Amino acid sequence: MEEVKRTSQHYEMELQSIKQNLLYLGALTEHAIENVLASLLDRKSDLARTVIDGDAEIDRLDTEIEEQCIRLLALRQPIARDLRFITTAIKINGHLERIGDMAVNIAERVLALNEEPQLKPYIDLPRMAEIAREMIRGSLDAFVREDCQLANSIRRKDAEIDTLNEQIFRELLTFMLEDARTIHRALLIMQVSKNLERIADHAKGIADMVVYMVTGINVRHQWPGETPDDVCDTKRQQP
Amino acid sequence: MHGKLFLKIFGSYLVIAAIAIGVVGFLVGNQIREKLDRQIEAELFAYARIVELAPVREVAQRAEEIARITLARVTVIDRDGTVIAETDRDALAIGSHFDRPEIQEARVRGKGTAVRYSQTVGEEMKYVALPIRKGDQIAGYIRLARPLVEVRRSVEAFTGILLRSFLVILALSVAAALFFSRRLTAPIREMERFTERLRRGEAPGTLLIRTPDEIGLLAENINYIVEELQKRIDALQEEKAKVEAAFSSAMDGVLLLGIDGKIETLNQGMRSLIGERYGEIAGKTPLEAFRNLDLQKALDQHRASGRPVSQEIVFGEEPPHVFDVAISGVRGVSGSEGKTLLVFHDVTRLKKLERMRVDFVANVTHEIKTPLTAILGFVETLQEGAIEDRETARKFLGTIARHAERLNRLVEDLLTISNIELGEMRFCFESVALSGIVQSVMHILHVKAQEKRIDLAAEIPDGLPPIRADRDRLSQILINVLDNAVKFTPEGGRVRLSAAAAGDEVLLRIADTGIGVPRDEIGRLGERFYRVDKTRSRELGGTGLGLSIVKHLMAAHRGRMEIESQLGRGTTVSLYFPVFRDTSA
Repeated sequence: MEEVKRTSQHYEMELQSIKQNLLYLGALTEHAIENVLASLLDRKSDLARTVIDGDAEIDRLDTEIEEQCIRLLALRQPIARDLRFITTAIKINGHLERIGDMAVNIAERVLALNEEPQLKPYIDLPRMAEIAREMIRGSLDAFVREDCQLANSIRRKDAEIDTLNEQIFRELLTFMLEDARTIHRALLIMQVSKNLERIADHAKGIADMVVYMVTGINVRHQWPGETPDDVCDTKRQQP
Repeated sequence: MHGKLFLKIFGSYLVIAAIAIGVVGFLVGNQIREKLDRQIEAELFAYARIVELAPVREVAQRAEEIARITLARVTVIDRDGTVIAETDRDALAIGSHFDRPEIQEARVRGKGTAVRYSQTVGEEMKYVALPIRKGDQIAGYIRLARPLVEVRRSVEAFTGILLRSFLVILALSVAAALFFSRRLTAPIREMERFTERLRRGEAPGTLLIRTPDEIGLLAENINYIVEELQKRIDALQEEKAKVEAAFSSAMDGVLLLGIDGKIETLNQGMRSLIGERYGEIAGKTPLEAFRNLDLQKALDQHRASGRPVSQEIVFGEEPPHVFDVAISGVRGVSGSEGKTLLVFHDVTRLKKLERMRVDFVANVTHEIKTPLTAILGFVETLQEGAIEDRETARKFLGTIARHAERLNRLVEDLLTISNIELGEMRFCFESVALSGIVQSVMHILHVKAQEKRIDLAAEIPDGLPPIRADRDRLSQILINVLDNAVKFTPEGGRVRLSAAAAGDEVLLRIADTGIGVPRDEIGRLGERFYRVDKTRSRELGGTGLGLSIVKHLMAAHRGRMEIESQLGRGTTVSLYFPVFRDTSA
């Protein structure tokens, strides 16, 4: 009896540890986005470099979490809710790692942009970055609280980012048409924007997984608008 | 409780009584039985001996007679054991009696006795046998037998007495047991009720048992223990209340993390520091609750080193809060080992002040450097030969003088502010009539206003109450405000000074038709070196300290300043002064 109790306690601790590590990874990626945005707005190349250097820690944590999950799957053969939690954790981990890589991509573009005079005041980019950060934070909040409603609302924010991305694209297009010298910078900014958009996609992916974890319903390939509002109510029907 | 103890005492009495009666019964009964037995035996032998020497035949013939005299059954047996005479008819048919133990004994030892249960009589019988001799020869035996009824009866009578006395003892012991158990249980029951009250947490009072025995001592000890306990509980509760009061009313936020790293407790201070932003944080890890990378890093650092960690951590986005977070392990408290204590001290204001101080130094340096650079530049040009050209030299010297004047003004203003802030400025508050002061101030500014063709006028109604003010400082306030108004009003504009009584205060209003101030910058007008339009203000010779000085002086007068403004249309500065009250009267 005692042995069983200790074992399950240990198991619970391992699940907790995965959760904590994921949150830490999330905080690291959020921090990376914050820094890369500051490096762009304040033209501080140093910050961009710390983001690039910081990716090593994100990668290390990514490997650690994955190993933790696989070890737990192999040794404990979890079922039902725990199994969903671990598979979700593996996928969220992948998303966060990719977000980290994209922050590095942006940082590299920012380094190149800072070499040249500023093309235009950035208005939409900070908004995009802010929304992307909110989405990461919100989706992880939803993960921690197992809050399906929150996850669903995060999924819908993706549309805002897409709109902003298109807006930036059109604006930069006019710059490039008017003056060929701006093409290099405009393309760099476009890549920054594209990467932010991809980050938001990954955040949405995390939110999708949270919905799956809580309800068992797969919403990954649905438009957020298509998902019925009461998708979260099925939680009550779950055993 | 009562019943059980009674039974125990009663039972023990009963056992003792039973044992005593049993022993007495056994010993005395035996004694009686033995004595009677011996008596009967001796009697029978005595009878038997009478006929011992008579011839057997005669004895046999007179058996009935012997039986009548001796009240015994008489049996005469001849040498081979054949019954010759038998008084008990029922036993006549019995054959040889030779094998009877008493006969055998008589043959061998000369006399024999035996006790046997006789079927015919249905009674224990005592048999006594003697040989009948003829010379040295045994001619036969005479046997006398008598039932032991008497013995049995005596023993029965004795047993009856014993039983009766046992019944009496029983009754007595019930009474005694009742009495003693009452006497024993009454204090015990009282103690039981007392401890029951204690268990329920009611105030138990004091045990009132004053007996010199063990129970009295026990009651005394219980009283002592209860008293001590109450004292300790009171002391603990007081201690706990103190700690709780300190914990919950501390302005700093306090978090206690359990061994599993989750937030166990947080105080009210913490709740008000973080607000509603993070929802309910109890039961979560700090990472889950705040999602703050720096906090987590600090916690990890503490966990790795085991030493207290203190760090400034920025929380929240809008508006950001800066907390000085001190992380330390909980030690020396049993049951709290391995827990972590986090104390959040809000240093947002401090950080802001620090920033302002840094800004101030930067501003002062900048303000001083600008005129100094100009002065040095012109002096250098003069040194390089411009001094020879009198016209240019004079122009340059004029410029140098102007910049030096500005430097001087700046230093004077700085000194004024510094004096006010340090509290070293002496104020001489007295009753001041506004009209006189206003007149002299208007006189000073009149020339400047005329240069810009600004219509400057004051309207002071008669009968205004005197205000409580320091004359010199009051004129400084008015000069600063009016000077600003004139400075920032374009040529041909208008500046009006009006006054009115407003309750306990007198309101001085300076309205201009100047350039105005953007709405969101009005609040910052009193800040040192704050200028809405930096280049323009400097062109006009401002130090950026004028309104700051006014603000400080108004505060020293226990008055206040309000500014309303519309961009491009003008600014109105309202100064409220307290009315003078003659406290000496």
